[in-house]
Amino acid sequence: MATIHTAKLVEPRLTTIVARASVVALTLATATIHASLGGMLFLMTAAGYTTLALAMVLPGPLGRLRWLIRLALIGFTAATIGGWVIFGARFSLAYLDKAIEVALIAAVTFELWHSDGGPMQLARRVRVLARGLARTLLARA
Amino acid sequence: MTRVHGRAVIALLAGTVLVACTGGPAGPPPTAPSGGAVVTAQGVAFDRTQLAVPAGRSFPLLFENRDGAPHNVRIYDDAGAQPLFVGEVFGGPSSRTYEVPAIPAGTHRFRCDVHPEMSGTVVAGSG
Repeated sequence: MATIHTAKLVEPRLTTIVARASVVALTLATATIHASLGGMLFLMTAAGYTTLALAMVLPGPLGRLRWLIRLALIGFTAATIGGWVIFGARFSLAYLDKAIEVALIAAVTFELWHSDGGPMQLARRVRVLARGLARTLLARA
Repeated sequence: MTRVHGRAVIALLAGTVLVACTGGPAGPPPTAPSGGAVVTAQGVAFDRTQLAVPAGRSFPLLFENRDGAPHNVRIYDDAGAQPLFVGEVFGGPSSRTYEVPAIPAGTHRFRCDVHPEMSGTVVAGSG
């Protein structure tokens, strides 16, 4: 019985740690590749990925908005892949980077599902956040 | 992640940027191969904005990449619809001698596919 309890306590924690570590590692990997390419656009992309990687692990008030950071990371990565599909050069490092970015989207989606619930739960959070922002703006106006 | 870890990550990325942008040593531009042209990339920029090449026959184009970042040379017509030549993308410091097929006389454009802001004019017929 005690064994079952231990497994129940440890498993989610381990899953969370592995998922978060994977997300941060993949984010920093693609940031490093973008930084190695030089040029303003790639450096800005690298800075964006680094900021999001830090936001994924920094404690404090950001912790409550982690779900939003996950969504932002998915959106940013998808936009980067889309930009490459339309405008990007085709060479081996670019293909490796896109593979990392696809894996990153999968890892963030997994973490998002695991930590934040499914799409319905996320939609509810977005709705609550939007309502809160609207109330704040209306109160100031 | 602690503040120290955050600084380590930023330092790592800053180092990567430095290596990518500085690349190999600066030096005199390489000599163009016989009957061909030469262009160098350094600091995410080409060393010239105009390339003089022969028209109507294939020619060697020596491309020296002095950056750590990958670059290449693409030659295309002014409309940009059809590439006349696409060179292999490679990281530096290294060089390749591209064999460029015959291109028509006139003014064309060249650029790096990875960094489209690296660009210039190709004048075919004067080489």
